[in-house]
Amino acid sequence: MQGTTMRRWAFWLLLTGFVAWDFASSAPVNLRLEPPLITAGSGSPASGGHCAMPK
Amino acid sequence: MNTLATSLDTDAAARRARAWPRRLPLAAAVLALFGWLLWSVSARQALLLLVGVGLGGVLAGARFGFTTGWRVLVEQRDPSGVYGQLLLLALLSALSMPLLARFPETTAALGPLSVSLLVGAFVFGLCMQIADGCGSGTLYKAGLGVPLNMAILPLFALGSFAGSAHLNGWLALGALPPVGLVTSLGAGGALAATGVALALLALGVGLWSGQRLHLGRLPRRWLWGALGLALLAALNLLIAGQPWGVVYGFGLWAAKAATALGLFDPAANAFWSDPGHAERLSQTLLLDVTSITNIGILAGALWVSARRPEPPRPLTSAQWAIGLLAGFAMGYSSRLAFGCNVGAMVSGISTGSLHGWLWVPLAFAGTLVGLRVRRRFGF
Repeated sequence: MQGTTMRRWAFWLLLTGFVAWDFASSAPVNLRLEPPLITAGSGSPASGGHCAMPK
Repeated sequence: MNTLATSLDTDAAARRARAWPRRLPLAAAVLALFGWLLWSVSARQALLLLVGVGLGGVLAGARFGFTTGWRVLVEQRDPSGVYGQLLLLALLSALSMPLLARFPETTAALGPLSVSLLVGAFVFGLCMQIADGCGSGTLYKAGLGVPLNMAILPLFALGSFAGSAHLNGWLALGALPPVGLVTSLGAGGALAATGVALALLALGVGLWSGQRLHLGRLPRRWLWGALGLALLAALNLLIAGQPWGVVYGFGLWAAKAATALGLFDPAANAFWSDPGHAERLSQTLLLDVTSITNIGILAGALWVSARRPEPPRPLTSAQWAIGLLAGFAMGYSSRLAFGCNVGAMVSGISTGSLHGWLWVPLAFAGTLVGLRVRRRFGF
């Protein structure tokens, strides 16, 4: 069980490190262009990526 | 009997009590991330994190495995997992199709009907049996701490990135435009057509297994799992405006890493130079819808694992090698197939995309081969 705990810690540390690196190296978040809280009914079309998208 | 029941209750209570010291720091970490996203990134992304945590909790708590459901149907003629999946598809269709018709901002998971879809779905169905987990399965098992799935995750991401980078070449082999049932038939017509098709599938499964669908006899975990996943996936559609997906986020993570290392030029690639994808490459992944729900799924599964720690199953070197290879191929093929069990099957079918209906038989054919490979390598 000790091994599982170590693996989990390593996994989460790597993931957290990757997300932190990405946040620091990406373009700053522009809060004025924040997407609507609920897209349905907002008037703004969905803008996220999805695996069904051919482009 | 009463003594046995009392003993089981005592065990469950003891497990719950032991889990809380592990769960409290995790709950604090999720709440801290939620608050930080709310303050520094976007309220929508903070909400989607919670949706993802819920999805991970339900997937892991109910052991709602798409891969296992198919495997026990074929090997043991036990249809309960597949019935659970059909119930999820019916419930989610009933929630999603009216939403899509009512709100023009929302989009269906529409994939083209292409040669790549046929090849990709077959290979994905084959590999998911070897890797013992589809897109969502790999995520929640990684969150539970299963060593093979934790190791597969980065390879799945790499495969998904490579598949997206090669997608235009695959599409050149032949593709028809996506067909959306909600657009063609309206919400009522699409729901009726989907309901009939799901009922026919349930009938076929019942005839083959000799056990007809009876909700009262279905193990309760499949019932509450289907209900929980349907509600949370519909919330995802309402909040994000797009159906639940897993694979895109993985590909984005690997694309970001490859670009940062100077190994990949997105401007020279047909897929990643598209303005939408290029923008997501330049933004933090915390603004990406599928990335944030993927992180939530991992955290939700970790929450469940605090109560039910899993002793790892030892694997041989050959099993590790074939498992990791299958993980990479699964990522690659899921992009050719325009989704995995979640993006193509659950989201495709429930939002009326015809590509989801093509995906299922091809992936099932791949599963039949994958089960033989699985047995060959002694998994």
